[in-house]
Amino acid sequence: MSPEAVDPIAINTTFWIATAIFVIAYGLIVSEKIHKTMIAIFGAALVIVLGVLEQREAFHIEEFGIDWNVIFLLISMMVIINIMRPTGVFEYIAIKSAKLGKGEPFKILAIFAVVTAVMSALLDNVTTVLLIAPVTLFIADALDVDPIPYLISNALASNIGGTATLIGDPPNIMIASKAKLEFMDFIYNLTPVIILVMVVYLIAIKFIWGKSLKTKDELKTRVMQMNENEAIKDPVLLKKSLFVLGVVIAGFVMHGALHLEPATIALFGAGLLLLLSGIHNPHHVLSEVEWSTIFFFMGLFIIIGGIVKVGLIEMASNGVLAITQGNMFATSMVVMWFSAFASAFVDNIPYVATMNPLIIDMAQKLWPDLSGLALLHKPELMPVWWSLALGACLGGNGTAIGASANVIVVGMAEKAGHKISFGKFMLYGMPIMILTVAVSTIYVWLRYYVLGI
Amino acid sequence: MKAKDLMVPAQDVLRPDDTLLRAVTLLRTVREGEECVGIKGLAVLDETGKLIGILSVGDFIKTAFPFYMGMMDLGEFSWDGMVETLARKAGDKLVKDIMSSVVITVEENSPLMEVIDHMIKHKVKRLPVLSKEGKVVGMLYERDVFFAVTKAMLKEEGGAI
Repeated sequence: MSPEAVDPIAINTTFWIATAIFVIAYGLIVSEKIHKTMIAIFGAALVIVLGVLEQREAFHIEEFGIDWNVIFLLISMMVIINIMRPTGVFEYIAIKSAKLGKGEPFKILAIFAVVTAVMSALLDNVTTVLLIAPVTLFIADALDVDPIPYLISNALASNIGGTATLIGDPPNIMIASKAKLEFMDFIYNLTPVIILVMVVYLIAIKFIWGKSLKTKDELKTRVMQMNENEAIKDPVLLKKSLFVLGVVIAGFVMHGALHLEPATIALFGAGLLLLLSGIHNPHHVLSEVEWSTIFFFMGLFIIIGGIVKVGLIEMASNGVLAITQGNMFATSMVVMWFSAFASAFVDNIPYVATMNPLIIDMAQKLWPDLSGLALLHKPELMPVWWSLALGACLGGNGTAIGASANVIVVGMAEKAGHKISFGKFMLYGMPIMILTVAVSTIYVWLRYYVLGI
Repeated sequence: MKAKDLMVPAQDVLRPDDTLLRAVTLLRTVREGEECVGIKGLAVLDETGKLIGILSVGDFIKTAFPFYMGMMDLGEFSWDGMVETLARKAGDKLVKDIMSSVVITVEENSPLMEVIDHMIKHKVKRLPVLSKEGKVVGMLYERDVFFAVTKAMLKEEGGAI
């Protein structure tokens, strides 16, 4: 059907108010002059105060308001990690990985990349980088090698690994919630391509850093003498944590069959671990939740809800349809590459938050007879969701500001006295981004449009 | 008892652009001369004489402690000579790079309770004492406050040491 056939969108004061809040808020978020969380909270409040949304819509209606699925999944996973951290398990994993590399600088770089990617698939990217990067700097000091390749690789690998699963990266959590996708859908559709992307990434870093990283034999013994078993501070809590983590992962794998949302599984895990951990007062564990990130999400959902309600998103989707003429392969490709370059320069969280309703609106126009899961999971639409996830997550590698993990790594490098300029990061990040998105393009084309599996 | 009764009068001060090598020499000589007091902090003044920071023993020790060690528990994996290597590298740094620039101060006529109030709430062990005009006139140490408190406990006469 043609876009002209839909009901006209009312371009009234409310439309302009919602649009202005959205545009100004995003402009301020991109400018980084004011903290993004404060912008999101104030913008969300304005959306309600100025009557774009009623409070009930902002707080309780799935279509316009806060996506509590995303919020509770994030909070619960943060609580689980906060309880696990003092056990020393993350230090153990990192030291063990460095020793696996026998003190060889490039081997350690490659092993850290794989470990970071795997951890990042199970935890969020920022957490992973905060757990791996300090050990990376420590090992680089031990071997007296330049830490910059290790730090950049930490960020790139965490963004790649995070793409593999539903819980690995916030864009995936948001896509899963809106498109009602299950944990195993991500495992079937994204994990295979991410394994392939990781192999390509390892070959690429072999070319980039394979020859330049050198150390002396006597320095290698510093690494080999480290005893990773000393890292474990609380073996009892570690066993409890691993048990709960196992329950949570099993829960994610089976959540579709159990008819439970991922957020419920994570909340159950957080509650169970809090009870088992023997902590008397949860204040400390809860205060370490990244509330600033959580409130950023909540504010953002309401601001987006405003432009969904007034029809701005619908207008944008009409525009996309006019370009792609309903050709789903073209749509997938445009979504993937546009998402990659957009996410390289702007935060992929607000980007995906905007794209989700846009894709749903587009689907409603293409298949007006369908609704609910039949619409969201229409086989022709599925590759578009995967293209959005691949583009938005892998696109984060493009620049130093493309993903939170990059920002953290650049900050840590500077603190350690090794500045990574915007240009220097891009010199590595942009080619890796283009390479990995190209691999994803071939995968999406082959799997969904040629082989149709 | 007032702050001025307990403080050690100000002697040497540092400039923000002094090297750590100069600062450490100063800190150590001052310390040797004042052994019973235990000098642990030097005021850093800008060219107008305004207090802009304080440099203490702890700040020097931190130069040999990389920030990433504070993010995870890695102490037990460190190697022999790590501290010495880092300390040697830190020698060319300037006072302004490592000083604590948020300085809690008291006035010379501040009561002792205010001194203790600052020490407990801000977790500091030393407080620069300022004159009414805002000039640094001395330094107050936790150890001297300890003596003042314990003297009272032992019902001895109060007063500066």
